[in-house]
Amino acid sequence: MTSAETSSPSGTASTFWQAITRTVLIPVLAVFTALIINAFIIRISGGDPILAYLGLWEGAFGSPKAISETLVWSTPYIYAGLAVALAFKGGLFNIGAEGQLSFGALVAAWIGFALPKLLGTSLPWIVHLPLALFGGIFAGALWGAIPGWLKARTGGHEVINTIMMNYIAVLITSFLLNGPFKDPNPFNVTARTPSIAESARLTPLIEGFRVHWGTVLALVVAFAVWWFLWKTTLGFEIRTVGANPDAAKYAGINVSRIIVLTMSLAGGLAGMAGAIEVIALNYRQELGFSVGYGFDAIAIALLGRSHPFGVVLAALLFGAMRSGATRMQFLTQIPVDIISVVQALILLLVAAEEIVRFIYRIKAPKETVVLTRGWGG
Amino acid sequence: MKKNLFMLLSALAILSLALAACATPAPVAPTAMPAKAFRIGLVTDVGKVDDKSFNQSAWEGAQCGAKETGGTTKYIETTDPKDYDKNIAQFGDEGYDVIVTVGFALGEATIKNAAKYTKAKFIGVDQFQEKPTAGVGGLIFPEDEAGFQAGVVAAMMSKTGQIGAVLGTDVVPPVWRFGEGYRAGAVWAKKDTKVNIVYHNDVGFDKTFTDPEWGKTTALSMIDKGADVIFGAGGKTGNGALLGVAQSGKALAIGVDTDQYLTVPEAKAVLLTSAMKLIVPGTCDMIKAVKAGTFKDGNIVGKVGLAPYHDTESKVTAEAKAKLDEAMKGMAAGTLKTNVAPAKP
Repeated sequence: MTSAETSSPSGTASTFWQAITRTVLIPVLAVFTALIINAFIIRISGGDPILAYLGLWEGAFGSPKAISETLVWSTPYIYAGLAVALAFKGGLFNIGAEGQLSFGALVAAWIGFALPKLLGTSLPWIVHLPLALFGGIFAGALWGAIPGWLKARTGGHEVINTIMMNYIAVLITSFLLNGPFKDPNPFNVTARTPSIAESARLTPLIEGFRVHWGTVLALVVAFAVWWFLWKTTLGFEIRTVGANPDAAKYAGINVSRIIVLTMSLAGGLAGMAGAIEVIALNYRQELGFSVGYGFDAIAIALLGRSHPFGVVLAALLFGAMRSGATRMQFLTQIPVDIISVVQALILLLVAAEEIVRFIYRIKAPKETVVLTRGWGG
Repeated sequence: MKKNLFMLLSALAILSLALAACATPAPVAPTAMPAKAFRIGLVTDVGKVDDKSFNQSAWEGAQCGAKETGGTTKYIETTDPKDYDKNIAQFGDEGYDVIVTVGFALGEATIKNAAKYTKAKFIGVDQFQEKPTAGVGGLIFPEDEAGFQAGVVAAMMSKTGQIGAVLGTDVVPPVWRFGEGYRAGAVWAKKDTKVNIVYHNDVGFDKTFTDPEWGKTTALSMIDKGADVIFGAGGKTGNGALLGVAQSGKALAIGVDTDQYLTVPEAKAVLLTSAMKLIVPGTCDMIKAVKAGTFKDGNIVGKVGLAPYHDTESKVTAEAKAKLDEAMKGMAAGTLKTNVAPAKP
């Protein structure tokens, strides 16, 4: 994606303000504009926009419990948003977070419920918990590595291949949850795994609230991704390949290797999103879980300007909207789909930032248009 | 970067303050309801209140309950299973009197929250209770009676004297009750009806309810052998049977659970009726029971019935209608029993 905030030298005040405009002002104005437009949509569809937004706010931040629920929703968004953002930095469009996530969740759940039975013994949590988490990460990484390898080896475009991998992952998951992995309780009619063993569960952060250690870990991971991308050689290589693969090749970077690595890391992050949901929140995987996290993640990465910290903020925003939607619907009885409308509007306004610039009379920066690599890339 | 972050955070804070400020003058009526009002909350399974299926029926039931008790009702549509808890708690925290949760998948969350919100009564639609929990009533249905009624109509409408049923595995008790009820009803209506019931037992649990192809071919082969009314029950497998009947065009089909005229539009022309679980009156009655103080924990057996005939109305003979009427009256009065075991022996 864009590289303005990374490359702009922090020298004169004007470049600083330009950077602020690009990275902060436009997304904030996009969110604001989307909320305004959406207010009209709510009004037209017969709702009360003020009450709706009040409910949204109350439901997202109105009480300790609401904040906890917002964090619960934001957590997978952070991991999955990072998965997309990291790939963006490497010049790759990872549409496959959805599949990587569901595969990560599936493997984590399997390790959680089936491994102790398979081994015929219960595992200590110090072994079982990391095993489930890393199993999920590994599964996601594998699912990301395949399209990465296809891209590096055959030039097959990662957009097409990650989408295809989504279908494969979702259908395999559906098959396993309806079949071999299905909860064998005779009264169970839903497609879900049995509950995972206690030893594979991450405990809640605070007693009585659902917010869990996975949220803290998400922030740590976001920091780690930032550190990795901007403070390590490998991260530099990824960003260089993302900015200009030809130059990277010329500079002696093994582009194929970096592409596979980038996709594996991205997949691993998405897999982690799924694994954390299983081991820290749901304690099982069921069909219908995670519908759309991987796709929302693309919007989050865009809104966050593909920067790990931006992703965290965007994820909090999306999480707040998803979580607050319950309260909003409770108060106004308008469809929760209205939240999807806001999110789509935000995405539209961020992607086509000229609209925002036009509305608020913000001058475009002098620098040349950002190079985003297209289908041929 | 730090500065940028700070700017973004403060901008967000200002934005939210502005939003909150705009919002304050609004009357906050819904939360400040007088405590006496009888309030009913409904939490759907992942899906919408207009899904033409369980969620919608339960919501209509809740609305009926609100009307009958002079109370108010609201719904929350679940978008992700992890929100079951949160959505139920939304009503629990507000001190709602009745919380309706729709579908088997919400069973665990319902039981968990019943312990927490002891003031509320919980109605679990289609949630069989393995053991009673204080404050939770599971609304379940006598599938055998629904199957029986379907069997009566099928036998009365058959010209060849042969009818069929294409079902999911009989290991699942409700499917068994549907199937055996159907057989019993057909034989009760016309003694020498040949009933060909096929359970999809030859595959695993994963496939038995999701095999429309098998449902379709099985229905077609039954029609080839002379059956002219086919009962399809068992998720997508059953729907496949309805599609098979529609494809042949030489027989009539009977759907299951909800009015499948609405859920399988491809089979409209041949769909005779559906053996329905009457969720609307079931939910409504349980809400009335809460208001009247006669609500009971454990399993509550609701009513079943047949869906309207829709496009096939003109084909249904008065004789068939009379026989069905007789069966329904008999079952209501308790003089007619289906004699179907609760599960396959």
